[in-house]
Amino acid sequence: MNDMRIVERDVETREIKIRGDKVQVFYGDNHAIKDVDIEIQDKTVTAFIGPSGCGKSTFLRCLNRMNDTIEGCRVEGEITLDEEDIYNKQVDPVQLRAKVGMVFQKPNPFPKSIYDNVAYGPRIHGLASNKADLDVIVEKSLRRGAIWDEVKDRLDAPGTGLSGGQQQRLCIARAVATEPEVLLMDEPCSALDPIATAQVEELIDELRTNYSVVIVTHSMQQAARVSQKTAFFHLGNLVEYNETGEIFTNPKDPRTESYITGRIG
Amino acid sequence: MSKPHITSAYDRDLEAVQAHLMKMGGLVEAAIIDAANSLETRDEDLAEQVRRNDRQIDEMETRVNEEAARLIALRAPTAVDLRTVLTVMKISNNLERVGDYAKNMAKRTSVLVHMTPIEGSASDIRRMAKSVELMLKDALDAYIQRDGALAEDVRLRDREVDQMYNALFRQFLTYMMEDPRHITGCMHLHFIAKNIERMGDHVTSIAEQVIYLVTGEMPDDARPKGDKTPYMAEPRG
Repeated sequence: MNDMRIVERDVETREIKIRGDKVQVFYGDNHAIKDVDIEIQDKTVTAFIGPSGCGKSTFLRCLNRMNDTIEGCRVEGEITLDEEDIYNKQVDPVQLRAKVGMVFQKPNPFPKSIYDNVAYGPRIHGLASNKADLDVIVEKSLRRGAIWDEVKDRLDAPGTGLSGGQQQRLCIARAVATEPEVLLMDEPCSALDPIATAQVEELIDELRTNYSVVIVTHSMQQAARVSQKTAFFHLGNLVEYNETGEIFTNPKDPRTESYITGRIG
Repeated sequence: MSKPHITSAYDRDLEAVQAHLMKMGGLVEAAIIDAANSLETRDEDLAEQVRRNDRQIDEMETRVNEEAARLIALRAPTAVDLRTVLTVMKISNNLERVGDYAKNMAKRTSVLVHMTPIEGSASDIRRMAKSVELMLKDALDAYIQRDGALAEDVRLRDREVDQMYNALFRQFLTYMMEDPRHITGCMHLHFIAKNIERMGDHVTSIAEQVIYLVTGEMPDDARPKGDKTPYMAEPRG
């Protein structure tokens, strides 16, 4: 009887990968994230939705300490990855970002060959001891990025020469090359056409078998399509966080309902 | 099925909800046959089982409708996908009604087994139930195969069921006139026959949904109707 909710049943058994506890973020005097408690599950796609300026990207960037690079940004509270505080002084942010990869809104391949784009991370993290190992990693990553077949014959061509959708999948391949445990995606499809979007969404669904994926999206339909859990942010608060089907058929908070039904909240 | 979607999870969702609908269809087919058999073999336990199993059918309807609602909310289906989801919801509703009629047959059977049988009626009713069950089976096959021609065939076959109902209606009327002690039994049997006739209408509606699914349009020509009993007046002679 349960085979219909394959996706959701999976989610119920997942372990917690990231835990946020009373997270506050300030940009100078601006209180951007207020008291966010969240548990993000492993091997699950979690979508952050909400209007512009609601804090969803800010919160996403806390998860791999990208906010460290922003002047005047202060993070309080606790964020743990596998029960370890990622803001602990002992944690090297560079190592953290190898574990928590990120894909950005605009495809941003390095001005290098397709091969080098993917090989860059494994090289600097010393993941391959020789060229043959590196070749294996590059192929595996490009396959995971669902772009291998399209680029295998032109690995030396510049990554910037690919189409937008291919560039984004190349960036995803680059992000998975360092064997991250979590993949953060900030509007990964907003610059892509519907077909490329569908391809990236299919890829996200496949990545879920190995990673915990957190995606920020302006497209509610995308959140509905790709995620198993959805978090709705509003004015820096985490308003509602639940199974995606519940959020989109029966949201509990009137603010969530207004937002997803396109009403003024 | 048509070509797969780029997002394979979409296909899995669509397949899952349809698989549930077919499972529900299987339960309803079994309910029709079991209800008719319980009447013919005067098997009160089997009738009781049909009544109990109806709950499962009802639960599946709720489930199918919930999943269809989720699909609409999460996937925003269009074109053939939208028609698939809409027809799933309507067909599940039809199946649930057919299940209810089978349950009602079983209830009346539980009464009838304690009364003197009306000769021949139970086997006539079983034959009628069997035709409806076959129609349902074909309608569901037509759904899975996206076979509009088979669905059209099912739609036309409802007339035969109507004719069987007319014949039974006359037969029960005659028995009741012959001997008033037959009235209670014949009234129950008549309702059973009427229930099966209604099942046929629901199966016809399923077939029409298949035609809509395949062609995008509901069949507009009036289908032949065979139920003459609404016009029946005082019997002659």
